Amino acid sequence: MIKLVELTKDFGHLRAVDKLSFHIQKGEIFGLLGPNGAGKTTTVRMLNTLTRPTGGEAQVAGFDVVKSAFKVKQLIGVSPQEVNLERDLTARQNLHIHGLSHRMEGIKKRVDELLNWTNLSERADDIIRNYSGGMQRRLLIARSIMHRPQVLFLDEPTVGLDPQVRRLIWDLIRDLNHKGVTILLTTHYIEEAELLCHRAGILSHGKLIALGSPQELMTSIGRFVVESLDNGVTNYRLFETREEACNFAQTRGENVRIRESNLEDVFIKLTGERIGQ
Amino acid sequence: MNFYPVFLKEMIIFKRRLFRIGYLFSNMITPLLYLIAFGLGLGRGISIDGVAYLAFVVPGICAMSSMTNSYSWIATSISVGRLHFKTFDEYIVSPVTPSDIMLGEVLAGVVRGMFASSFILIAGVLFGAGFPENPIFLVAWVLNCLVFACLGVISGCLAKSHEDTATFSNFFIMPMAFFCGTFFPLDKMPVFIRVPLSFLPLTHASKTLRAAFLGEGVPAVSLGIIFAFFIILFALGVVVIRRVNR
Ligand SMILES: Nc1ncnc2c1ncn2[C@@H]1O[C@H](COP(=O)(O)OP(=O)(O)O)[C@@H](O)[C@H]1O
Ligand SMILES: [Mg+2]
Repeated sequence: MIKLVELTKDFGHLRAVDKLSFHIQKGEIFGLLGPNGAGKTTTVRMLNTLTRPTGGEAQVAGFDVVKSAFKVKQLIGVSPQEVNLERDLTARQNLHIHGLSHRMEGIKKRVDELLNWTNLSERADDIIRNYSGGMQRRLLIARSIMHRPQVLFLDEPTVGLDPQVRRLIWDLIRDLNHKGVTILLTTHYIEEAELLCHRAGILSHGKLIALGSPQELMTSIGRFVVESLDNGVTNYRLFETREEACNFAQTRGENVRIRESNLEDVFIKLTGERIGQ
Repeated sequence: MNFYPVFLKEMIIFKRRLFRIGYLFSNMITPLLYLIAFGLGLGRGISIDGVAYLAFVVPGICAMSSMTNSYSWIATSISVGRLHFKTFDEYIVSPVTPSDIMLGEVLAGVVRGMFASSFILIAGVLFGAGFPENPIFLVAWVLNCLVFACLGVISGCLAKSHEDTATFSNFFIMPMAFFCGTFFPLDKMPVFIRVPLSFLPLTHASKTLRAAFLGEGVPAVSLGIIFAFFIILFALGVVVIRRVNR
Protein backbone atom coordinates (compact mmCIF):
# COMPACT_ATOMS: atom_id res chain seq x y z
CA MET A 1 0.00 0.00 0.00
CA ILE A 2 2.92 2.29 0.77
CA LYS A 3 6.27 1.79 -0.87
CA LEU A 4 9.48 3.70 -0.26
CA VAL A 5 12.57 3.24 -2.40
CA GLU A 6 15.69 4.99 -1.15
CA LEU A 7 13.59 7.96 -0.14
CA THR A 8 15.87 10.83 0.88
CA LYS A 9 15.47 14.39 2.13
CA ASP A 10 18.21 16.94 2.65
CA PHE A 11 17.73 20.28 4.36
CA GLY A 12 20.82 22.09 3.21
CA HIS A 13 23.71 20.06 4.58
CA LEU A 14 21.54 18.08 6.95
CA ARG A 15 20.31 14.71 5.72
CA ALA A 16 17.01 14.33 7.58
CA VAL A 17 15.96 11.11 5.83
CA ASP A 18 18.62 8.82 4.43
CA LYS A 19 17.72 6.35 1.65
CA LEU A 20 14.72 4.89 3.40
CA SER A 21 13.28 1.74 1.79
CA PHE A 22 10.39 -0.35 3.06
CA HIS A 23 6.87 -1.50 2.19
CA ILE A 24 3.67 -1.28 4.17
CA GLN A 25 1.01 -3.88 3.50
CA LYS A 26 -2.67 -3.20 3.06
CA GLY A 27 -4.52 -3.35 6.37
CA GLU A 28 -1.40 -2.98 8.47
CA ILE A 29 -0.67 -0.62 11.35
CA PHE A 30 2.95 0.26 10.72
CA GLY A 31 4.91 2.24 13.27
CA LEU A 32 7.90 4.47 12.67
CA LEU A 33 9.70 4.61 15.97
CA GLY A 34 12.57 6.87 16.84
CA PRO A 35 13.72 9.69 19.08
CA ASN A 36 13.02 13.36 18.32
CA GLY A 37 14.87 14.47 15.23
CA ALA A 38 15.16 10.94 13.79
CA GLY A 39 13.31 11.98 10.62
CA LYS A 40 9.85 10.55 11.25
CA THR A 41 7.91 13.71 10.45
CA THR A 42 9.98 14.46 7.38
CA THR A 43 9.32 10.94 6.06
CA VAL A 44 5.59 11.27 6.63
CA ARG A 45 5.50 14.74 5.06
CA MET A 46 7.11 13.42 1.90
CA LEU A 47 4.50 10.66 1.71
CA ASN A 48 1.77 13.29 2.30
CA THR A 49 2.92 15.44 -0.67
CA LEU A 50 3.82 18.23 1.76
CA THR A 51 7.57 18.05 1.23
CA ARG A 52 9.33 17.20 -2.00
CA PRO A 53 11.89 14.40 -1.68
CA THR A 54 15.50 15.19 -2.55
CA GLY A 55 15.99 11.68 -3.90
CA GLY A 56 14.42 8.27 -4.24
CA GLU A 57 10.78 7.47 -4.80
CA ALA A 58 7.64 6.73 -2.89
CA GLN A 59 4.25 5.39 -3.83
CA VAL A 60 0.98 5.42 -1.98
CA ALA A 61 -1.68 2.99 -3.24
CA GLY A 62 0.31 2.67 -6.44
CA PHE A 63 0.60 6.42 -7.10
CA ASP A 64 3.88 8.30 -7.07
CA VAL A 65 3.84 10.99 -4.38
CA VAL A 66 5.50 13.54 -6.67
CA LYS A 67 4.20 12.72 -10.14
CA SER A 68 0.64 11.82 -9.08
CA ALA A 69 0.47 14.08 -6.04
CA PHE A 70 -3.13 15.11 -6.65
CA LYS A 71 -4.31 11.50 -6.84
CA VAL A 72 -2.43 10.73 -3.62
CA LYS A 73 -4.10 13.69 -1.88
CA GLN A 74 -7.50 12.21 -2.71
CA LEU A 75 -6.65 8.86 -1.18
CA ILE A 76 -4.88 9.71 2.03
CA GLY A 77 -5.88 11.02 5.43
CA VAL A 78 -3.38 13.12 7.34
CA SER A 79 -3.22 13.89 11.01
CA PRO A 80 -0.10 15.99 11.52
CA GLN A 81 2.12 16.18 14.58
CA GLU A 82 1.03 19.72 15.35
CA VAL A 83 -2.71 20.18 15.67
CA ASN A 84 -3.61 22.38 12.71
CA LEU A 85 -7.34 22.77 13.06
CA GLU A 86 -8.87 26.16 12.34
CA ARG A 87 -8.95 27.62 15.82
CA ASP A 88 -11.69 30.14 15.11
CA LEU A 89 -14.05 27.55 13.67
CA THR A 90 -16.24 25.06 15.49
CA ALA A 91 -15.67 21.31 15.31
CA ARG A 92 -18.59 21.00 12.95
CA GLN A 93 -17.28 23.74 10.65
CA ASN A 94 -13.80 22.22 10.57
CA LEU A 95 -15.20 18.88 9.47
CA HIS A 96 -17.65 20.45 7.05
CA ILE A 97 -14.96 22.41 5.22
CA HIS A 98 -12.75 19.34 4.99
CA GLY A 99 -15.68 17.48 3.44
CA LEU A 100 -16.17 20.25 0.89
CA SER A 101 -12.48 20.17 -0.03
CA HIS A 102 -12.90 16.50 -0.86
CA ARG A 103 -16.15 17.15 -2.75
CA MET A 104 -17.97 14.74 -0.48
CA GLU A 105 -21.65 13.99 -0.51
CA GLY A 106 -23.69 13.47 2.64
CA ILE A 107 -21.37 15.69 4.63
CA LYS A 108 -23.85 16.50 7.36
CA LYS A 109 -24.50 12.87 8.20
CA ARG A 110 -20.82 12.00 8.19
CA VAL A 111 -20.01 14.95 10.48
CA ASP A 112 -22.59 13.79 13.04
CA GLU A 113 -21.25 10.25 12.80
CA LEU A 114 -17.68 11.37 13.47
CA LEU A 115 -18.59 13.74 16.29
CA ASN A 116 -20.35 10.81 17.87
CA TRP A 117 -17.42 8.48 17.29
CA THR A 118 -15.01 10.87 18.95
CA ASN A 119 -17.46 11.77 21.71
CA LEU A 120 -17.46 15.44 20.77
CA SER A 121 -21.14 15.86 19.92
CA GLU A 122 -21.88 18.02 22.93
CA ARG A 123 -19.12 20.47 22.09
CA ALA A 124 -19.67 20.33 18.33
CA ASP A 125 -20.62 23.99 18.01
CA ASP A 126 -17.88 25.40 20.23
CA ILE A 127 -14.78 27.13 18.92
CA ILE A 128 -11.75 24.80 18.81
CA ARG A 129 -9.65 27.41 20.60
CA ASN A 130 -11.40 26.43 23.84
CA TYR A 131 -10.91 22.66 23.46
CA SER A 132 -8.55 20.63 25.63
CA GLY A 133 -5.51 19.01 24.00
CA GLY A 134 -7.17 15.60 23.98
CA MET A 135 -10.34 16.92 22.35
CA GLN A 136 -8.36 18.72 19.67
CA ARG A 137 -6.39 15.57 18.93
CA ARG A 138 -9.57 13.52 18.61
CA LEU A 139 -11.07 16.06 16.26
CA LEU A 140 -7.85 16.11 14.25
CA ILE A 141 -8.15 12.36 13.74
CA ALA A 142 -11.85 12.69 12.91
CA ARG A 143 -11.01 15.31 10.28
CA SER A 144 -8.29 13.13 8.78
CA ILE A 145 -10.73 10.27 8.14
CA MET A 146 -13.75 12.43 7.23
CA HIS A 147 -13.48 11.49 3.54
CA ARG A 148 -12.96 7.77 4.31
CA PRO A 149 -9.33 7.47 3.15
CA GLN A 150 -7.79 4.06 2.50
CA VAL A 151 -4.47 5.12 3.96
CA LEU A 152 -4.06 7.13 7.14
CA PHE A 153 -0.97 8.94 8.42
CA LEU A 154 -0.82 9.70 12.13
CA ASP A 155 2.23 11.70 13.17
CA GLU A 156 2.71 11.30 16.93
CA PRO A 157 -1.03 11.00 17.57
CA THR A 158 -0.74 10.97 21.36
CA VAL A 159 2.15 13.32 21.97
CA GLY A 160 1.70 15.35 25.15
CA LEU A 161 -1.53 13.65 26.22
CA ASP A 162 -2.17 12.08 29.60
CA PRO A 163 -2.44 8.26 29.85
CA GLN A 164 -6.24 8.06 29.89
CA VAL A 165 -6.66 10.21 26.82
CA ARG A 166 -3.88 8.27 25.15
CA ARG A 167 -5.85 5.04 25.65
CA LEU A 168 -8.93 6.67 24.14
CA ILE A 169 -6.95 7.54 21.02
CA TRP A 170 -5.47 4.05 20.80
CA ASP A 171 -9.00 2.65 20.79
CA LEU A 172 -9.93 4.96 17.91
CA ILE A 173 -6.85 3.87 15.96
CA ARG A 174 -7.57 0.17 16.47
CA ASP A 175 -11.19 0.70 15.49
CA LEU A 176 -10.16 2.37 12.24
CA ASN A 177 -7.76 -0.44 11.45
CA HIS A 178 -10.50 -3.02 12.01
CA LYS A 179 -12.55 -1.14 9.44
CA GLY A 180 -9.75 -1.81 6.95
CA VAL A 181 -7.72 1.41 6.99
CA THR A 182 -3.98 1.03 6.45
CA ILE A 183 -2.19 3.15 9.04
CA LEU A 184 1.30 4.60 9.23
CA LEU A 185 1.91 6.07 12.65
CA THR A 186 4.99 7.64 14.09
CA THR A 187 5.82 7.73 17.75
CA HIS A 188 8.61 8.03 20.22
CA TYR A 189 6.60 6.18 22.84
CA ILE A 190 7.83 2.60 23.08
CA GLU A 191 4.61 1.37 24.59
CA GLU A 192 2.51 2.84 21.79
CA ALA A 193 4.50 1.04 19.12
CA GLU A 194 4.43 -2.26 21.01
CA LEU A 195 0.71 -2.14 21.67
CA LEU A 196 -0.60 -0.89 18.33
CA CYS A 197 1.73 -1.83 15.53
CA HIS A 198 1.76 -5.02 13.51
CA ARG A 199 5.21 -4.03 12.35
CA ALA A 200 7.59 -1.26 13.28
CA GLY A 201 10.60 0.36 11.71
CA ILE A 202 13.18 1.92 13.96
CA LEU A 203 14.63 5.17 12.74
CA SER A 204 17.86 6.77 13.89
CA HIS A 205 19.41 9.84 12.23
CA GLY A 206 17.26 9.35 9.15
CA LYS A 207 18.26 5.71 8.67
CA LEU A 208 16.15 2.61 9.13
CA ILE A 209 18.11 0.46 11.55
CA ALA A 210 15.57 -2.31 12.23
CA LEU A 211 12.31 -3.55 10.79
CA GLY A 212 9.89 -6.24 11.93
CA SER A 213 7.05 -7.04 14.29
CA PRO A 214 7.66 -5.80 17.84
CA GLN A 215 7.89 -9.47 18.88
CA GLU A 216 10.52 -10.25 16.24
CA LEU A 217 12.55 -7.18 17.09
CA MET A 218 12.57 -7.98 20.78
CA THR A 219 13.38 -11.63 20.21
CA SER A 220 16.25 -10.71 17.91
CA ILE A 221 18.12 -8.96 20.73
CA GLY A 222 17.17 -11.45 23.47
CA ARG A 223 13.88 -11.71 25.27
CA PHE A 224 15.16 -11.00 28.80
CA VAL A 225 17.09 -8.16 30.35
CA VAL A 226 19.10 -8.15 33.53
CA GLU A 227 19.57 -4.65 34.92
CA SER A 228 22.14 -4.27 37.63
CA LEU A 229 23.25 -1.24 39.54
CA ASP A 230 27.02 -1.12 39.93
CA ASN A 231 28.52 1.91 41.65
CA GLY A 232 25.56 4.07 40.65
CA VAL A 233 25.65 3.04 36.98
CA THR A 234 22.88 0.88 35.54
CA ASN A 235 24.17 -1.94 33.35
CA TYR A 236 22.01 -3.95 30.99
CA ARG A 237 22.55 -7.43 29.64
CA LEU A 238 20.32 -9.29 27.25
CA PHE A 239 19.57 -13.04 27.30
CA GLU A 240 17.65 -15.44 25.11
CA THR A 241 15.99 -17.38 27.92
CA ARG A 242 14.83 -16.76 31.46
CA GLU A 243 17.22 -19.44 32.83
CA GLU A 244 20.26 -17.76 31.39
CA ALA A 245 19.09 -14.45 32.76
CA CYS A 246 18.51 -15.94 36.21
CA ASN A 247 21.88 -17.63 36.27
CA PHE A 248 23.59 -14.40 35.38
CA ALA A 249 21.57 -12.44 37.92
CA GLN A 250 22.70 -14.78 40.71
CA THR A 251 26.33 -14.00 39.98
CA ARG A 252 25.65 -10.28 40.41
CA GLY A 253 24.29 -10.44 43.92
CA GLU A 254 22.10 -7.56 45.04
CA ASN A 255 20.54 -4.69 43.12
CA VAL A 256 19.54 -6.71 40.08
CA ARG A 257 16.25 -6.80 38.24
CA ILE A 258 15.11 -9.24 35.57
CA ARG A 259 12.50 -8.07 33.08
CA GLU A 260 11.34 -8.77 29.55
CA SER A 261 13.02 -6.73 26.86
CA ASN A 262 11.15 -3.96 25.04
CA LEU A 263 11.61 -1.88 21.90
CA GLU A 264 13.64 0.66 23.81
CA ASP A 265 16.21 -2.05 24.49
CA VAL A 266 16.27 -2.75 20.77
CA PHE A 267 16.98 0.89 20.12
CA ILE A 268 19.66 1.09 22.78
CA LYS A 269 21.33 -2.04 21.53
CA LEU A 270 21.33 -0.98 17.89
CA THR A 271 22.40 2.61 18.34
CA GLY A 272 24.96 1.77 20.98
CA GLU A 273 23.72 4.49 23.25
CA ARG A 274 23.38 3.94 26.99
CA ILE A 275 24.41 0.26 26.85
CA GLY A 276 26.83 -1.09 29.44
CA GLN A 277 29.87 -3.40 29.01
CA MET B 1 -12.82 24.44 -9.55
CA ASN B 2 -13.14 23.89 -5.83
CA PHE B 3 -12.40 27.27 -4.30
CA TYR B 4 -15.53 27.36 -2.18
CA PRO B 5 -14.17 25.61 0.95
CA VAL B 6 -11.23 28.04 1.05
CA PHE B 7 -13.54 31.03 0.62
CA LEU B 8 -16.07 29.70 3.11
CA LYS B 9 -13.44 29.24 5.80
CA GLU B 10 -12.26 32.84 5.46
CA MET B 11 -15.84 34.08 5.46
CA ILE B 12 -16.73 32.23 8.65
CA ILE B 13 -13.74 33.82 10.36
CA PHE B 14 -14.66 37.22 8.92
CA LYS B 15 -18.26 36.93 10.11
CA ARG B 16 -17.11 36.03 13.59
CA ARG B 17 -14.88 39.13 13.70
CA LEU B 18 -17.78 41.31 12.61
CA PHE B 19 -19.63 40.49 15.77
CA ARG B 20 -16.80 41.87 17.83
CA ILE B 21 -17.69 45.49 18.47
CA GLY B 22 -14.09 46.66 18.48
CA TYR B 23 -13.44 45.33 15.01
CA LEU B 24 -16.52 46.88 13.47
CA PHE B 25 -15.85 50.15 15.23
CA SER B 26 -12.26 50.38 14.03
CA ASN B 27 -13.45 49.68 10.51
CA MET B 28 -15.78 52.64 10.70
CA ILE B 29 -13.57 55.02 12.63
CA THR B 30 -10.42 54.96 10.45
CA PRO B 31 -12.05 56.26 7.25
CA LEU B 32 -13.95 58.80 9.27
CA LEU B 33 -10.70 60.11 10.73
CA TYR B 34 -9.22 60.48 7.26
CA LEU B 35 -12.28 62.20 5.94
CA ILE B 36 -12.48 64.59 8.84
CA ALA B 37 -8.77 65.38 8.83
CA PHE B 38 -8.28 65.76 5.09
CA GLY B 39 -11.72 66.39 3.68
CA LEU B 40 -13.24 68.66 6.28
CA GLY B 41 -10.20 69.95 8.15
CA LEU B 42 -7.31 70.49 5.78
CA GLY B 43 -9.36 70.64 2.62
CA ARG B 44 -12.14 73.00 3.72
CA GLY B 45 -12.57 75.68 1.12
CA ILE B 46 -9.99 74.15 -1.22
CA SER B 47 -11.03 72.97 -4.61
CA ILE B 48 -8.99 71.10 -7.20
CA ASP B 49 -9.77 71.72 -10.86
CA GLY B 50 -13.13 73.08 -9.83
CA VAL B 51 -13.98 70.08 -7.64
CA ALA B 52 -14.50 70.44 -3.89
CA TYR B 53 -11.60 68.77 -2.09
CA LEU B 54 -13.98 66.52 -0.15
CA ALA B 55 -15.39 65.04 -3.37
CA PHE B 56 -11.83 64.77 -4.68
CA VAL B 57 -10.53 62.89 -1.68
CA VAL B 58 -13.40 60.43 -1.07
CA PRO B 59 -12.57 58.17 -4.06
CA GLY B 60 -8.86 58.49 -3.16
CA ILE B 61 -9.42 57.28 0.39
CA CYS B 62 -11.71 54.58 -0.96
CA ALA B 63 -8.86 53.35 -3.21
CA MET B 64 -6.43 53.45 -0.31
CA SER B 65 -8.70 51.71 2.16
CA SER B 66 -9.76 48.96 -0.24
CA MET B 67 -6.08 48.37 -0.99
CA THR B 68 -4.86 48.06 2.59
CA ASN B 69 -7.80 45.98 3.74
CA SER B 70 -7.72 43.50 0.85
CA TYR B 71 -3.99 43.15 1.28
CA SER B 72 -3.36 42.93 4.99
CA TRP B 73 -6.11 40.53 5.97
CA ILE B 74 -5.01 37.92 3.45
CA ALA B 75 -1.28 38.44 3.94
CA THR B 76 -1.56 37.96 7.68
CA SER B 77 -4.00 35.08 7.47
CA ILE B 78 -1.73 33.16 5.09
CA SER B 79 1.61 33.88 6.71
CA VAL B 80 0.34 32.99 10.17
CA GLY B 81 -1.45 29.91 8.80
CA ARG B 82 1.74 28.80 7.10
CA LEU B 83 4.35 29.64 9.69
CA HIS B 84 2.57 29.37 12.98
CA PHE B 85 -0.62 27.31 13.02
CA LYS B 86 0.35 25.13 10.02
CA THR B 87 -3.22 25.33 8.75
CA PHE B 88 -1.91 25.95 5.25
CA ASP B 89 -0.68 22.33 5.24
CA GLU B 90 -4.30 21.22 5.43
CA TYR B 91 -4.91 22.95 2.08
CA ILE B 92 -1.89 21.28 0.56
CA VAL B 93 -2.83 17.75 1.62
CA SER B 94 -6.40 18.30 0.42
CA PRO B 95 -7.31 17.82 -3.22
CA VAL B 96 -7.73 21.53 -3.88
CA THR B 97 -5.46 22.97 -6.55
CA PRO B 98 -3.23 26.04 -6.15
CA SER B 99 -5.65 28.02 -8.31
CA ASP B 100 -8.53 26.98 -6.03
CA ILE B 101 -6.63 28.25 -3.03
CA MET B 102 -5.71 31.45 -4.87
CA LEU B 103 -9.25 32.15 -6.00
CA GLY B 104 -10.80 31.39 -2.61
CA GLU B 105 -8.36 33.59 -0.73
CA VAL B 106 -8.52 36.43 -3.22
CA LEU B 107 -12.31 36.54 -3.23
CA ALA B 108 -12.26 36.61 0.56
CA GLY B 109 -9.84 39.55 0.34
CA VAL B 110 -12.21 41.36 -2.01
CA VAL B 111 -15.13 40.97 0.39
CA ARG B 112 -12.99 42.29 3.21
CA GLY B 113 -11.63 45.22 1.20
CA MET B 114 -15.01 46.27 -0.13
CA PHE B 115 -16.61 45.97 3.27
CA ALA B 116 -14.08 48.28 4.91
CA SER B 117 -14.00 50.85 2.13
CA SER B 118 -17.75 51.02 1.75
CA PHE B 119 -17.81 52.98 5.02
CA ILE B 120 -15.97 55.76 3.23
CA LEU B 121 -18.59 55.99 0.53
CA ILE B 122 -21.27 56.11 3.19
CA ALA B 123 -19.39 58.80 5.10
CA GLY B 124 -18.92 60.66 1.80
CA VAL B 125 -22.67 60.77 1.28
CA LEU B 126 -23.25 61.91 4.86
CA PHE B 127 -20.71 64.73 4.55
CA GLY B 128 -22.13 65.87 1.24
CA ALA B 129 -19.40 64.63 -1.11
CA GLY B 130 -21.98 62.78 -3.18
CA PHE B 131 -22.09 59.26 -4.54
CA PRO B 132 -20.23 57.59 -7.47
CA GLU B 133 -21.81 58.85 -10.69
CA ASN B 134 -20.57 56.18 -13.09
CA PRO B 135 -21.12 52.42 -12.48
CA ILE B 136 -17.57 51.83 -13.77
CA PHE B 137 -16.66 52.85 -10.22
CA LEU B 138 -17.77 49.41 -9.05
CA VAL B 139 -15.61 47.68 -11.65
CA ALA B 140 -12.50 49.63 -10.68
CA TRP B 141 -13.24 49.16 -7.01
CA VAL B 142 -13.49 45.36 -7.32
CA LEU B 143 -10.40 45.23 -9.55
CA ASN B 144 -8.40 47.24 -7.05
CA CYS B 145 -9.37 44.82 -4.29
CA LEU B 146 -8.48 41.86 -6.54
CA VAL B 147 -5.03 43.26 -7.32
CA PHE B 148 -4.11 43.81 -3.68
CA ALA B 149 -5.67 40.58 -2.46
CA CYS B 150 -3.39 38.82 -4.99
CA LEU B 151 -0.42 40.71 -3.57
CA GLY B 152 -1.57 39.68 -0.10
CA VAL B 153 -1.48 36.00 -1.06
CA ILE B 154 1.93 36.38 -2.65
CA SER B 155 3.51 38.14 0.31
CA GLY B 156 1.80 35.74 2.74
CA CYS B 157 3.32 32.79 0.87
CA LEU B 158 6.80 34.29 0.54
CA ALA B 159 7.11 35.60 4.11
CA LYS B 160 9.83 33.85 6.07
CA SER B 161 8.58 35.28 9.35
CA HIS B 162 5.56 37.13 10.64
CA GLU B 163 7.44 40.42 10.47
CA ASP B 164 8.07 40.05 6.74
CA THR B 165 4.49 40.90 5.81
CA ALA B 166 4.67 44.03 7.98
CA THR B 167 7.97 45.02 6.33
CA PHE B 168 6.50 44.55 2.90
CA SER B 169 3.50 46.59 3.94
CA ASN B 170 5.64 49.44 5.29
CA PHE B 171 7.85 49.61 2.22
CA PHE B 172 5.31 49.12 -0.55
CA ILE B 173 1.75 49.39 0.61
CA MET B 174 1.96 52.42 2.89
CA PRO B 175 3.90 54.67 0.47
CA MET B 176 1.39 53.81 -2.22
CA ALA B 177 -1.40 54.78 0.14
CA PHE B 178 -0.13 58.35 0.25
CA PHE B 179 1.54 58.99 -3.08
CA CYS B 180 -0.59 57.32 -5.72
CA GLY B 181 -2.96 60.21 -6.23
CA THR B 182 -5.04 59.42 -3.21
CA PHE B 183 -4.74 62.78 -1.42
CA PHE B 184 -3.40 65.10 -4.12
CA PRO B 185 -3.37 65.12 -7.92
CA LEU B 186 -0.22 63.82 -9.59
CA ASP B 187 -0.28 65.85 -12.82
CA LYS B 188 1.47 68.81 -11.17
CA MET B 189 4.23 66.62 -9.74
CA PRO B 190 7.67 66.66 -11.40
CA VAL B 191 8.24 64.04 -14.07
CA PHE B 192 10.84 62.08 -12.09
CA ILE B 193 8.17 61.39 -9.48
CA ARG B 194 5.22 61.04 -11.80
CA VAL B 195 6.80 58.43 -14.07
CA PRO B 196 7.74 55.89 -11.37
CA LEU B 197 4.34 56.35 -9.77
CA SER B 198 2.64 55.49 -13.04
CA PHE B 199 4.03 51.95 -12.69
CA LEU B 200 2.07 51.39 -9.50
CA PRO B 201 -1.41 49.89 -9.64
CA LEU B 202 -2.91 52.20 -7.02
CA THR B 203 -2.11 55.27 -9.15
CA HIS B 204 -4.39 53.91 -11.83
CA ALA B 205 -7.01 52.72 -9.40
CA SER B 206 -7.37 56.12 -7.73
CA LYS B 207 -7.40 57.84 -11.12
CA THR B 208 -10.17 55.59 -12.42
CA LEU B 209 -12.15 55.63 -9.20
CA ARG B 210 -11.99 59.42 -9.06
CA ALA B 211 -13.07 59.89 -12.67
CA ALA B 212 -15.99 57.49 -12.17
CA PHE B 213 -16.92 59.10 -8.87
CA LEU B 214 -17.02 62.58 -10.36
CA GLY B 215 -18.71 61.44 -13.56
CA GLU B 216 -15.79 62.46 -15.78
CA GLY B 217 -14.55 60.43 -18.74
CA VAL B 218 -13.22 57.10 -17.48
CA PRO B 219 -9.49 56.55 -18.29
CA ALA B 220 -9.68 53.29 -20.23
CA VAL B 221 -5.90 52.86 -20.26
CA SER B 222 -5.72 52.99 -16.47
CA LEU B 223 -8.57 50.54 -16.15
CA GLY B 224 -6.76 48.22 -18.56
CA ILE B 225 -3.55 48.52 -16.58
CA ILE B 226 -5.26 47.54 -13.32
CA PHE B 227 -6.82 44.58 -15.08
CA ALA B 228 -3.42 43.53 -16.42
CA PHE B 229 -1.95 43.79 -12.93
CA PHE B 230 -4.70 41.53 -11.67
CA ILE B 231 -4.11 38.85 -14.31
CA ILE B 232 -0.35 38.85 -13.83
CA LEU B 233 -0.47 38.86 -10.03
CA PHE B 234 -3.11 36.13 -9.98
CA ALA B 235 -0.93 33.88 -12.13
CA LEU B 236 2.09 34.70 -10.01
CA GLY B 237 0.11 33.84 -6.88
CA VAL B 238 -0.75 30.40 -8.25
CA VAL B 239 2.94 29.76 -8.96
CA VAL B 240 3.95 30.91 -5.50
CA ILE B 241 1.34 28.69 -3.79
CA ARG B 242 2.60 25.72 -5.78
CA ARG B 243 6.08 26.28 -4.38
CA VAL B 244 5.07 26.58 -0.73
CA ASN B 245 6.80 23.95 1.45
CA ARG B 246 9.18 22.80 -1.26
N1 LIG C 1 12.00 22.44 7.33
C1 LIG C 1 13.15 22.05 7.86
N2 LIG C 1 14.29 22.74 7.63
C2 LIG C 1 15.46 22.34 8.15
N3 LIG C 1 15.63 21.25 8.90
C3 LIG C 1 14.56 20.50 9.17
C4 LIG C 1 13.27 20.86 8.68
N4 LIG C 1 12.37 19.93 9.11
C5 LIG C 1 13.08 19.04 9.85
N5 LIG C 1 14.39 19.38 9.89
C6 LIG C 1 15.45 18.61 10.57
O1 LIG C 1 15.40 17.29 10.11
C7 LIG C 1 15.63 16.38 11.16
C8 LIG C 1 14.48 15.41 11.27
O2 LIG C 1 13.36 16.11 11.76
P1 LIG C 1 11.93 15.43 11.91
O3 LIG C 1 11.59 14.74 10.66
O4 LIG C 1 11.00 16.48 12.39
O5 LIG C 1 12.18 14.37 13.07
P2 LIG C 1 11.16 13.63 14.01
O6 LIG C 1 9.78 13.82 13.48
O7 LIG C 1 11.59 12.21 14.01
O8 LIG C 1 11.30 14.25 15.37
C9 LIG C 1 15.86 17.19 12.41
O9 LIG C 1 17.26 17.33 12.60
C10 LIG C 1 15.23 18.52 12.07
O10 LIG C 1 15.89 19.57 12.76
MG1 LIG D 1 8.13 14.60 14.38
